[in-house]
Amino acid sequence: MAYRQPLYGYDPRGIVEAEPRALSPRLTELHGVRLAVLDNAKMKAGRLLGYTTEILNEEFKFSQVNTYVKRGFSYTATPEMIEQIASGNDAVITAIGD
Amino acid sequence: MSEVGITGVPEIVLHDMTRFDGADPQEWYFSNGYTDGLPVVPPTPEKVDAMVDALGGEPDLLEARVPPRWGNLTRRVLAVNAVMAGCLPIYAPVLRTAMRAMCENHFNLNAIQATTHVIAPLAIVNGPVRREIGMNCGHGAFGPGNRANATIGRAIRLILLNVGGALPGVLDKSTQGTPAKYSYCVAENEEESPWAPYHVEKGYRLQDSTVFVIGAESNHNINSPLPNDPEGVLDDVISSMTTVVHNNARASGHCTVALSPEHAQTIAKHGWTRHDVRCYLQMYATNKFGRIVHDHKYGKAYNRHLPRHYRRDLDSDIPIVPSPDNIHLFVIGGTAGRFSSFIPGWGHYNNPVLRSVDGATPVGGPICIDGTCYL
Repeated sequence: MAYRQPLYGYDPRGIVEAEPRALSPRLTELHGVRLAVLDNAKMKAGRLLGYTTEILNEEFKFSQVNTYVKRGFSYTATPEMIEQIASGNDAVITAIGD
Repeated sequence: MSEVGITGVPEIVLHDMTRFDGADPQEWYFSNGYTDGLPVVPPTPEKVDAMVDALGGEPDLLEARVPPRWGNLTRRVLAVNAVMAGCLPIYAPVLRTAMRAMCENHFNLNAIQATTHVIAPLAIVNGPVRREIGMNCGHGAFGPGNRANATIGRAIRLILLNVGGALPGVLDKSTQGTPAKYSYCVAENEEESPWAPYHVEKGYRLQDSTVFVIGAESNHNINSPLPNDPEGVLDDVISSMTTVVHNNARASGHCTVALSPEHAQTIAKHGWTRHDVRCYLQMYATNKFGRIVHDHKYGKAYNRHLPRHYRRDLDSDIPIVPSPDNIHLFVIGGTAGRFSSFIPGWGHYNNPVLRSVDGATPVGGPICIDGTCYL
């Protein structure tokens, strides 16, 4: 096949099909909320989140603190876990700790 | 159909092709960030069409979606990247098989693309297609100089960059990266192996062609010139496996061992099978838990990445991988030289995938009543 100088450049990226989603409404008050703590299973994530929750709880007196642990830091949280977090909590914190 | 970024923010609608209007094609690809840092072969309609034809036509057919950008890998997009990498159309089915395999959910490509680790997908080809497309499985197989190895591996990387969006520092957060992210595709040297090929061990027929993909570090050399028995060679392999600073040591999972033909023949002439090799390596490649956690010098550590059922006393033996089936054994390389490779995996976050190029399914069966699991 003889080579011809191309006249056009091809976009090699392929399109992305996704439905835009709005962010959840932001909380205006943290006092007394149900807090989810999502531990991503990094080596020291639990320790970091524990200290963080302790400090926050002193100030905001959460009505509940619910801890969730992912199977591994490089796995996405399961749909069931995401549903549990969303339905049973008002706020969520997460962190990486190596 | 609109183009939406990963943040959900609409982006400019892409056009398939842009007229150069006098621009240097090579510089156009560079300036748009569509390359791996090396010049590409600017695609032409003729070259793209030939590649699509080799995939069976239907340019808009969706083959996979590539994370973390989740771009659509249609046959046309696959063809464009393959041409850019320098592939011949006869390589296209192997490239497609590799991409489909690594886009299966349990491969966890989403995380492989984004991790701070140095992991890259490694593709190893078995069966007649190796010879049909001229792959190198002999001297320097992991290195440069062979068009099929080099350009299939490069096309994989271009797709991971362009369609998957794994641009270094953007969505690819690898701290140091690795040369294996340029191109990482080889074939097993079935002709010089004393054993059945990898895909036959896994239940495929000798005449089937397959692609195995695994998240892998670069190959670590095993220089073992003296031993003339299986234990001696394999103890040197174990020496490479039992550092505590690769991900298998800290996070279990799967790994690859690529024996050179000389090493494989030394082992096989004593009657050892592939199964014996994998079992020996799994049984004796262990570290003391104390080494992994620095004897708790930096605080008491549990290590949540290792299987829950492992004892965690300082003198507990921790296997590099949890089962012989997690060691993927190949014979790769030239006929001279007692150099093999240990190729660490990424820990339990990645599951390797083996798929046939032509859609064939394994005939051995999972219960191994025909003995193929113990070749």
